[in-house]
Parts: sequence; C-alpha cells; structure tokens
Amino acid sequence: MTNTAGEQREPTLPAWLSRLVRALWGFDVRVHALPMAANDFTARRPRFAGSDLWLPSSPLVGVPGSFDDYLFAACAHVSAHLRFGAPRFEIRSLKPAQVAITSVLEDARVERLAIEHYPGLATLWAPYHQARADSAKTSSSLLARLARALHDDTSLDDDAWVSKGRQLFMDGRAEWHDANLCRRIGSTLGNDLGQMRVQFDANGYAVQPPYRDDNTGLWHFDQELGEDGSQLELEGVRRIESDVPAVKQREQGEPEERPARCSGESEPAPGISLALGADVTIASKHPEWDYVIQRERPAFCSVFERPVEPGHTARLVSEARDAATQKRLQRSASRLSDRRAVRTRRLLDGDRLDLPAALGAVVSCHGGVIPDPRIYSRVRYTLDPPALLLLLDLSESLNDVPRDASSSCLHLAQRAIALLAISLSTTTRDWAIHGFSSNGRHDIGYRRFKDFDDPYDEHARSRLAGMRAHSSTRLGTALRHAGRALALRRARRKVLLVMTDGEPSDIDVHDSEYLLFDAKQATIQNRRRGVLSYCLGLDAQAEMSVARIFGAGNYSLLREMECLPQRLTEVYMRLSA
Amino acid sequence: MSEGPLDAFRIRREPYYRALAGEMGLFEAAYTARLPVMLKGPTGCGKTRFVEHMAWRLRQPLITVACNEEMSASDLLGRYLLEGGSTRWQDGPLTVAARHGAICYLDEVVEARQDTLVVIHPLTDDRRLLSLPSKSETLRAHPEFHLVVSHNPGYQSALKDLKPSTKQRFGAIAFDYPARELEVEILMHETSLPRDLAERLVSVAEAARRLEGHGLDEGISTRMLVHAGSLIGQGIAVEAACNMALIQPLTDDLDLTSTLSAAMRACL
Repeated sequence: MTNTAGEQREPTLPAWLSRLVRALWGFDVRVHALPMAANDFTARRPRFAGSDLWLPSSPLVGVPGSFDDYLFAACAHVSAHLRFGAPRFEIRSLKPAQVAITSVLEDARVERLAIEHYPGLATLWAPYHQARADSAKTSSSLLARLARALHDDTSLDDDAWVSKGRQLFMDGRAEWHDANLCRRIGSTLGNDLGQMRVQFDANGYAVQPPYRDDNTGLWHFDQELGEDGSQLELEGVRRIESDVPAVKQREQGEPEERPARCSGESEPAPGISLALGADVTIASKHPEWDYVIQRERPAFCSVFERPVEPGHTARLVSEARDAATQKRLQRSASRLSDRRAVRTRRLLDGDRLDLPAALGAVVSCHGGVIPDPRIYSRVRYTLDPPALLLLLDLSESLNDVPRDASSSCLHLAQRAIALLAISLSTTTRDWAIHGFSSNGRHDIGYRRFKDFDDPYDEHARSRLAGMRAHSSTRLGTALRHAGRALALRRARRKVLLVMTDGEPSDIDVHDSEYLLFDAKQATIQNRRRGVLSYCLGLDAQAEMSVARIFGAGNYSLLREMECLPQRLTEVYMRLSA
Repeated sequence: MSEGPLDAFRIRREPYYRALAGEMGLFEAAYTARLPVMLKGPTGCGKTRFVEHMAWRLRQPLITVACNEEMSASDLLGRYLLEGGSTRWQDGPLTVAARHGAICYLDEVVEARQDTLVVIHPLTDDRRLLSLPSKSETLRAHPEFHLVVSHNPGYQSALKDLKPSTKQRFGAIAFDYPARELEVEILMHETSLPRDLAERLVSVAEAARRLEGHGLDEGISTRMLVHAGSLIGQGIAVEAACNMALIQPLTDDLDLTSTLSAAMRACL
C-alpha cells in the first residue's frame, strides 16, 4: 500500500480511500498524499479545502492502531465535515481560544451526525481519544479532554469546564444540524477559559486526536487578520501561511483550473495549406448538428487524415514487458483469449448428430416426405470478437500529468494500448487505433496509428510511440469519421471505443452545449449504422458530459489513471462478451 | 379448462412480496388488458418474486423460462420426439402456456438470441397467435395466457439489447432497490433479523450502491442482504457474514474490497 521500493517516488495513498467517501456519502473527493519527508507533525496532519483532501502517506509517530485504520478514521472525519459542515465560519472578533474550542465542537458535531448514519464510525474513532481526565489543566489538554468528552458518552471527566462544555453540547442536541450552535457554545467556553486564567498557548496547540484535520477548512481567514493579527497563531493559521504556495501549486495542476485548452495554439496547423501538402490526404467533409436550429449543417467540418511521425518504441516495449502489470493483466487477458463454444446446427456433415434435425428427418420419413439431409452439428470454438476501433481524443489536455500518476495521461494511454494490443493481436486483426485533435471546424486532424487488418508490428508500435497530443476536441466530427470507417467492416458487431478526458471543445465554438449535442447526435447516427459507441472517460469530473453523449450504460469513468491498462482491458472484455 | 398439464405450475402458498409503489395495480391492469409486461431492474431487486406473487394473487399458473444464448425457437415452442417407431409432439413451455392458459415468464430475456425471440411477436400483439411451423399449426392463445419478460438494462453488455420491434410490444414496469424503510422491512421478514441489525445491513448495501458506475457494475442487492441475514441467523458473526454474502461475491478488485470492507465497518 505504501511505498515498498526504496527509491524516491511520489508518495501514494491506497486507492480505496476516495471511493470510500463516495460509498459513505455519495460524493467524490480528491485524495492527495502529503509528502513523507516532512518531520514537522503539523505539516503532515490531514487537512481539506473544498473537495480536496490531504492525508499523510506514511504512519505518524505515536498514533495507535494500524495505518489503514488511521487513514480510514481521518478520511471519515474529513468527509463528515464535507457532508455536514456549514459554510466556513467567519473569525470576526473571536479570540484564538474561541476559534480552537469552536473547532473542537464542530468536529464533534459533524462526527455525531455521521455516527447517526454509520454507527461503526464511533468505534473507529474511539481509540484515538486518549486524553486522560487526570492530565494537567493546560489549554491543550483541556481541549483534548473536551474532544473526548464530546465524543464518548461514557467518559468520566469531572472537570467543571469540560463538563459544562459537554452539557451545553448535549443540551443542544436538537440543534446539531446547525453549525451556529458550536460558535455559540465556543464563545461561552472561551470566555470561561479566560476567567479560569488558563493561558491558551496558540503556538503549541495541535488539534487532538491526531486523525482530525487541522481545522483550516472550517474557517474563513481574513487576509488582514491573518497578517496583522498575530494573535491568531493557531495551528490552522500557521498552516495557511506556510502552505499556501504548495496548495496553490497543486491546484494549478487541476483540470478545471488550467488555462483554456485552446488558447495556446502554438502549432501552426492551418488546414487548407496542409491539405495541399503531399503527405496529407484530401479533406473528408462531415455534417454537424446544430441543436439551436435542430438541424444538421451539411458538409460543415473538414477532417484531414495526417501521417504519424514514428517515435521510439524502446520505452513502450519495455513497459509492455513490465512484469507487475503483465501479471495483473494476465488473468483478464487469459479470459480474453478464452474460447467460447459455438454450435453450428443443421450441417451436412459434422462431429455429432443434431438431435432436433435428426428427429425432424425421421418425422419426415414417417410422413412420407423427403427428409432434410442436414442432420449434423459441429461445435466450433471461437472468440468472434467485434471489430474494434479505439478512438483517442488527442487534445492538449492529454499532456497533463494527473496528480495520482507518475507520467502524463498520454503516456499512460500509450502504455495501456500497448498492453491491450498484445492480447488483441493474438486473437484478431480486426481492430484499429485512431486519434484526433481539432483546430476549428476547418481543420480536424485524424491519425491512424494502426488500421484494420494491419498487423500490430514494429511499424504500428513506432507510430503508437509517436503519438502527440495538442489542440482541441471536436468529438462529434471524429465520431462520424471513425463511425464511417468502422461501418465498412464485415464483422457482425462493430464497437467504437472512445477514450476522452473531458467534454468536447474547440476554438471556434463558445457555446459549451453545441459540441455536446453534436457528439450525442453522432453517437445516435453511428448506432443506426450498426456501430456501437462506448466511452472510457479519463476524467471522472466529466461524468455529466460523457453520460449525455454516450448514454447510461455506455460509458465508464476512470478514477485513477494508473489503472488505465487494467480498465481498458476490462472494458474491451465487457464489450466483446 | 383442462387443468391437467398446468397443475405443476400452480403456486399454492403466497410468496412474500412487499409492494413498493403502484406496481401491483399496474400489473393487474396489464393482465386484464392482456398487455404483455416487461419487468426492468437491477439483479436481485425482486422481479421474479413479484411475478410469482402476482401469479398467486391472480390464481394463474406460472411457467418460468430462464433464457440463454443457446436457446432455440423449438426450446420455446416444442418439438417432435421419437417414441418407439413413431413420433410424438411435445409442447414447449411457451406453447403449453398459450395452449392451456398460464402466465409465461421469460427471465433475462436479452440473453436469448434476437432471432429466437421473434417467435413471440404474433403472440404479443392483438392477434395473440402462436405459429408452430414444424407442426403446421397456428395456435390461438388461451384467453388466460399472459406473457411477462424481465431484463436488466444495467450490467448487460452494451451490445445486448432487445430489438425495438420486440420492445415496443410490451408495457414496462421499472424496478429499483426498495426504499430504505421497505428494504429493512423485507429483510426483517425474510430473515427475522432484529430491526437495528437489518438497518445496518441496508446501510452497507446503500453504500455499495453509491459505487455503481464507480468501479462496481451493480451494487449489493436485496437478495444478497437476505443471504447475509440468513448466514447471521445460522450464528455466523455479522462481519464474516457480510464479507461472505455481500462483499466477496461482488468484486475481485482488491481496492474495491477494501472500500467495501471499510464502508461495512462504518455501518456496523
């Protein structure tokens, strides 16, 4: 689960964590690993912002239980904030102690609500509450004891302040759905703490127990307050000041925050001039569906088939031999080449008698009719795979390196295809790898990396290795072009497997709905031609658009890019079953 | 009415079924109008149990055919058998139902080959005829004959679907997993689990259903919950029963198993 290899690698977290949040609450979060190197405890504690969640990637010192349990506890706690939390609190005139106490109360409130849904969480969180009722009455220990008292109904803490906090919290039970309760009780308890002359040590304070986040996700820190109000040196504030650059950097890697896909068109690819080049075939014209006028615009888009610059296959080949991945795929692949028995009946000769036909013949004899001599059957073992066209969206965004991956989406896609190709090429040649990228409706580039009936040989591999991603995604036209090629195949079933990482877009289209409707229309037209489309979405965030284009049941989404080879093979198996 | 051939297909005891919405009324109306019915819904949500219950309620015999790819038209219609030196015609299940008047239930109908299913076409429009070409007979369906099919649009391969010409002959009732309260009630009835535990099991199922399309093809069904419940009834520890009946059958993926185990721990 954690790194076993000795070398320096990106810290990773088990993949089940983000799915767990979906299972529990029905929404998605992005789980990121915090760097392992940091020795500072506060730099490694869980935190969240929006639907991004950061968790440590290796066990923390002094935390009881297994690391998996710790991650589960932390993930469940943060997701409870996301599920039951209110908009961030305003700090306004609150003192640091009040901020800390309110946070403890808010932690308890969301946990209580979560436990109402999932009682098992109570036993999960309990072992981390280790504050003892006889510990010294410092602010830190009192807060930890309050946290325990709020969590555990059976804890025996007779400290007056802790008991008061618990009493107020339990009395407000009916208002647990309202976060303002915490703010109210928090100010009261904060004042009490001041009157008890207990110094609140903002510098030494760390939220307890350790599975809880640092509370930065709960508060709206006013910039001015954060800078001049040095009294707010809470753990959370320290975090915010030191980590903002790191967090920002990570966020900039986000798909939705990257600059508009089409803006940086560095590649000079004007369609008309290239169309006259020797190595480019003549444009194919395709219509486009305009949902506003509910009509097709005939011959609206031009597709140019472009040659592919071969690349170096060494890396691709060595990765395809990668033992670990191969092993994982082995089972799927063996099922892929599993042969199915197909019985052909009513044959003139065959291995065995076709009983119903033989009976029919006897019946005919009895009836005085000349019997049909085709009374044998034969069992043939065959795979009968569908004709498959793998269509890749080769737009600029494919060059992004996903957060959970070690290389770009493009590279992962190449690797996945290379692996699938090994299994496919042993059974059939009736499959192809095509890709597209667009630069306005007059210039949609279409590349064939491996065409139908071509062998998957060194040439095909070098073209695959030479795959480049740039420009935009005019999906509908590409679907039509690919559908046309596939419709010509003789196979009984024709499958267009589309791999795309987002919704269609192009530089000359500003209405985001337009290309979406067009792609949907193209899918429907393909279906009429006997071509079934299935989409493997590389960006889980794009579910809405993918679902609308391809329809329920005709797509699946990839959560972790690293699983692409496995998922691609699974999808293929499912389609050819 | 010649009762003989259908005696074996009569349902004597009431099969337990808890109505979810108006599906009983819809089915009865469709039965009265002899409109063929298609039941759609995920695996294990109670489609087959519903048909059994309705057959009992309408006091009709029920002939069930589990469809598969190897099934041919004569498996539905019937065939000649050799007996000594002579031949004898043996009605298939569909012919028996049409001839003597019964509800014929084709389970997982998309599994059958499309060309096989074409034989039901004349039966399912207002002609209500069944043609038996090898016997040179055209059978007019018994007034009590009713056709019900089921299919699961969710997990089936995208390549498997009914022809539009077949689909359009049916009225369809869409099933889904029961609402939480109902599912708890069903589980308590089927397994005699205490309410508290039944609620927790249903929470596990709900968590798994949220993963549909996110790694799982189908979530934990009501049937699987009943399985878990009966294991618990046998004295198996709750976690072990859930693992055996709910989690392990659902997926072989290690990450998904971990997710489901964690979700189960949160629920229990």
